[in-house]
Amino acid sequence: MPESVVDATQALIPVTVLTGYLGAGKTTLLNRILSEQHGRKYAVVINEFGELGVDNDLVVDTDEEVFEMNNGCICCTVRGDLIRIIGALMKRKGRFDGIIIETTGLANPAPVAQTFFVDDNIKSRTRLDAIITVVDAKHLPQRLADSSEAAEQIAFADTIVLNKIDLVTPAEADAVEALIRGINRTARIIRAEKSNVDISALLNQGAFDLSRVLEHLPSFLETDEHSHNDDIASMSFEAKRPLDPEKFNAWIGELLAQKGQDLLRTKGILSYEGDDRRFAFQAVHMIADGDFIGPWKGEERTSRIVFIGRNLNRPQLRRGFEACQADSKAAD
Amino acid sequence: MGETVSADHILQTRGVFSQFDAYTVSACFDAKGNAGFGLGDGTVRINPHAQPLGWLSADAHDGALLGLCTDPSGTGFISGGDDGALMRITPAAEATRVAGFGGKWVEQVASFGDAKTQLIAAGVGKRLHILTAAGATLKTVEHPSTVTGIAFDAKGKRFAASHYNGASIWFVASKTDNPRKLDWKGSHTGITFSPDGDVVVTSMQENSLHGWRLSDGQNMRMSGYPSKTQSLSFTRNGKWLASSGAESIVLWPFFNGGPMGKAPTELAGGDEALCSVLTCHPVQEAVAAGFSDGLVLMADIPNARILPIAAPGRGAVSAIAWSRDGTHLAFGTETGFCAVVDFTKR
Repeated sequence: MPESVVDATQALIPVTVLTGYLGAGKTTLLNRILSEQHGRKYAVVINEFGELGVDNDLVVDTDEEVFEMNNGCICCTVRGDLIRIIGALMKRKGRFDGIIIETTGLANPAPVAQTFFVDDNIKSRTRLDAIITVVDAKHLPQRLADSSEAAEQIAFADTIVLNKIDLVTPAEADAVEALIRGINRTARIIRAEKSNVDISALLNQGAFDLSRVLEHLPSFLETDEHSHNDDIASMSFEAKRPLDPEKFNAWIGELLAQKGQDLLRTKGILSYEGDDRRFAFQAVHMIADGDFIGPWKGEERTSRIVFIGRNLNRPQLRRGFEACQADSKAAD
Repeated sequence: MGETVSADHILQTRGVFSQFDAYTVSACFDAKGNAGFGLGDGTVRINPHAQPLGWLSADAHDGALLGLCTDPSGTGFISGGDDGALMRITPAAEATRVAGFGGKWVEQVASFGDAKTQLIAAGVGKRLHILTAAGATLKTVEHPSTVTGIAFDAKGKRFAASHYNGASIWFVASKTDNPRKLDWKGSHTGITFSPDGDVVVTSMQENSLHGWRLSDGQNMRMSGYPSKTQSLSFTRNGKWLASSGAESIVLWPFFNGGPMGKAPTELAGGDEALCSVLTCHPVQEAVAAGFSDGLVLMADIPNARILPIAAPGRGAVSAIAWSRDGTHLAFGTETGFCAVVDFTKR
């Protein structure tokens, strides 16, 4: 008989992705994380060695290698270097409390996020905890005007650190926050000066875990038809009656196949007919993933879905989502 | 007949094993029959041929070991690690530095050794360094993206590297450093030569294999795997290519016009566990395989007979190797169980 069987169901290692435009304060934030997290051990994947305080942590320097997947999905790209590096980190003795991945300022976050959906080895050992985007409160409007990456980084974010808030007036701060909300209505926004964020509020938050994101989605935002940024926007929809999983799968599968390039992120918490558990659905472009999470607890079983992307057609999406509701008469 | 023998019988009666507390990254034998296991804690654990119960340990790397191969001299091992070091480990577990790469990960190592030629190959990022056995650099070649696998041909005249969008084949002795480029879209994650040197096969991120026949440039696509194909091995006669990545050992026929248009043969299927690593026997038409549930077995290809070697339950099998003469099998698991099984006649 085996003498020593190690528990194979070790907790998945949380991965935090840190994005943000050059000069937004990303490296300052990373330094804060590494210097303030005493007693915890992180592996940090960066693109070039900066001046990092790294006593207890492992820093891995990498070239971002963005690979197109040959899997019939036209917008599917992954970070090949991360697949290799995270695979090797998982073999190291001594577990990390977390992995932090810093992307270059101009990076599109999609390949990083998709890596965690596509690669089986990575999926089985890590979980994408959050995509954190650091933005510069003063220069964000300009960044949005002159680059598409800035809006994409906001669109993908679970948490946005609105940095350098001390350099703008309260009115400017509110305006820039409204600008962010026009792109991404579900992200948590944390205001900061010199990246002085409570680190414990950033790491291991399960922010990519939708149950929390969508539970707290204020539905009044739905009335905000006006988009401040004509390019990327977000729209959310609700369905009161339980969904028919087959109808939903058929609809979302078709939608992602047709519009996947425009749909940056899709997140949903769904109530399936005949099931007491909440179904969490999420997608990055065409790549979708879903699983049952904990049971509904007393609250109304409303299915919610959010789309963040370009060229969103509100009536079409609403009709499509509502049509996924199970026909209660037939079910009875 | 009729008596049920435990799946662990061979390990218990013919094996020596030890439980370490780090991931088994790689296993191999040297030409003297010493078994080496490279672990995620940076050590190389040695099971000496002359004294199988006396396990030895060498601290090879400050960090994780990433690759292990036989010393091209035939005695001992060469390892690469995430500390940027290329190390030599003797059968007595003495570790010395062969070369250093400034902290860059030495992710891939391979070697070739016969009476005339002794070479070490080290993959460091996009670069592949060819060194003499003593550690002098013979040549350094560069690729468009990180090297993910290295293979020498059976004569040690050429070496091949897998990378994004294909593979590159280089001549060791060539003065002009232009590779023969083998292009195929996608991320290639490992590489092997056929024994006759005419076929190069890569494993791919997209759960498939890709092959090139060098004599006529023909492409061969081998797909249909449910998961990543990490382990590839040709039988000694080159008739079969064995591969991991399915719930069985998948064998592609490289004869009678195959593998094009032929279905692969599957052996040892039936359970849900995935085949995680395998290696063909160096003499017989047989393959040893490890599975994600910890099962280790040997499959005789011509008559499809399966011999269980170790029962499931010690962690997913992550490394496996035959000794050069095929009398001993080494395997290790993700949870640090390492074993050597003796198949000599008793």
